[in-house]
Amino acid sequence: MFRTKIAFLPTTKQSDTLLPWVIAVMLFLSTLSLVLAITLGNGLNKWSQGLTTSLSVQVINADSDMRTQDTTQALKMLRATPGIEYADIVADAEVLEMLSPWLGELPTENALPVPTLIEIKLISPDSVNISALKQRLKTISSDIRLDDHQAWIVQIFKLASTIRWLLTAVVFMIILSTISIVIFGCRAGLATHKESIEIMHMLGAEDDIIAKSFDQRYMLHGLKGGAIGTSIAAIVIYMISNLIENLDTGLIGALLPQSSNFWWLLILPVFTAMITMLTARFTTKRALLKLM
Amino acid sequence: MITFENVGMRYGMGAEILRDISFSLDKGSFHFLTGPSGAGKTTLLKLMYLAHRPSRGLMHFFNKDMATLERRDLPRLRRRIGVVFQDFRLFDHLSAFDNVALPLLIKGAKKSDIASHVEELLSWVDLEERMHARPATLSGGEKQRVAIARAVINKPDLLVADEPTGNVDPSMSRKLMHLFIELNKIGTTIVVATHDDELVKSIGAPILKLSKGELEQVPGSRELTDPAPSRSEIYTSDLPKPTDMKAMS
Ligand SMILES: Nc1ncnc2c1ncn2[C@@H]1O[C@H](COP(=O)(O)OP(=O)(O)OP(=O)(O)O)[C@@H](O)[C@H]1O
Ligand SMILES: [Mg+2]
Repeated sequence: MFRTKIAFLPTTKQSDTLLPWVIAVMLFLSTLSLVLAITLGNGLNKWSQGLTTSLSVQVINADSDMRTQDTTQALKMLRATPGIEYADIVADAEVLEMLSPWLGELPTENALPVPTLIEIKLISPDSVNISALKQRLKTISSDIRLDDHQAWIVQIFKLASTIRWLLTAVVFMIILSTISIVIFGCRAGLATHKESIEIMHMLGAEDDIIAKSFDQRYMLHGLKGGAIGTSIAAIVIYMISNLIENLDTGLIGALLPQSSNFWWLLILPVFTAMITMLTARFTTKRALLKLM
Repeated sequence: MITFENVGMRYGMGAEILRDISFSLDKGSFHFLTGPSGAGKTTLLKLMYLAHRPSRGLMHFFNKDMATLERRDLPRLRRRIGVVFQDFRLFDHLSAFDNVALPLLIKGAKKSDIASHVEELLSWVDLEERMHARPATLSGGEKQRVAIARAVINKPDLLVADEPTGNVDPSMSRKLMHLFIELNKIGTTIVVATHDDELVKSIGAPILKLSKGELEQVPGSRELTDPAPSRSEIYTSDLPKPTDMKAMS
């Protein structure tokens, strides 16, 4: 049943005025953590897809004929392996170019034996058993090496997912502290207004009417604090992503928060308002049960 | 309508403030509750307006047994009981009007009904000029009348008043008593706690006498004496006539 709120609580009480600001700080911190966690997750997905489906094989025999022979055999084997989308020789010129930052400009093509590179694209990251593949390449020649990027990807993954867990934990801790703060605030409010609550009871008010006054008040605190905190966080995120964009580095670029992904920021103040409201309602009703 | 049987009351683990209280109030009766300070008058009234449960004994309100009542049944019952607290207990941030309107809002009455009803009652207690004043700006007697108006706005079956004449001069106290008698005439059961022996004598209502936690009943004269000034004296518009009160409903 809908009922107009009964204004038996005075509109301003000092103990309450701080709460929206505390909530704003909480929301600022948790919004940043959330965005970071999500961005990290997105970036990781992009990297891992790019990296784990691409492998490279190096044929490092110094003898050019032997190298060609090994290469042909390896290619034949690779192309016959199910799960491999394609395997192609990377042109020597390209390899040289890739090496140039380390070796400088090399004078002629054959002045230095350059390992032959075979680029492999897997259909999916787990479509081929990498260690079996390694083994088979070894039977062709001990001079063939398979470079997978798994090792360091795994490290990065571990690091990143640890950070994500940490951020998620941070968000939960912030939510829990916000709830505790609301509970304390609400209890203080109940104590402050004990007399008014008693009178309301004596006038025949149900707990619902009394609780409604409290939870509406706290809902507004939550909405206000949530809106302020989330807005500031959104501005900060926008500025940081601009800075990252200017860096123009592929690796970090994958970590760029995309504004289209963050429409849910709008929900946060509403979510906060709901949490503060429910917390206040629960706290008030429990406290009222102790009264007659 | 209301019966107490061997009711005992103590606060927490303290000594019993009320012992073996037994009495019954008929519908439409008028009683004074007297006794020295600290005798337990307020405590007894608190039991009557359902602010406390007794430590022992049986209480019946409107034929309902308090022992079997659930907490959620209390609001409905309390709405049938009007209370004038010893210290008024008005809401300081609400105007006289809003204070008096509160029981109607709680009941869920319509806004339009509330306005007319409250205005009518406030002018009945001679406060139409001060309708929108906050309690802080009202005199003791004016606050008293706001408190009384709030207690009776719902036309309670039982009106409980704790020293309603404690803070006002004799003429105002007569006016207020007149008001209670008018309410009693339309069927409201009334209990008024007071120290004022003069007042008690002048009205002639039966008395519930408390001393050291025990109750003694003193019957009153058959007809109540209305302390209002006679019609030949200054019986002006500030005192309502019984007919006004009936017309209000
Ligand atoms: N909340 C309470 N907790 C403990 N003791 C209380 C409480 N309220 C009242 N008392 C004690 O109960 C006794 C009766 O108090 P009560 O207020 O009922 O007296 P009273 O007859 O209304 O007095 P007065 O005429 O001064 O208003 C007193 O001794 C008082 O100290
Ligand atoms: Mg008292």
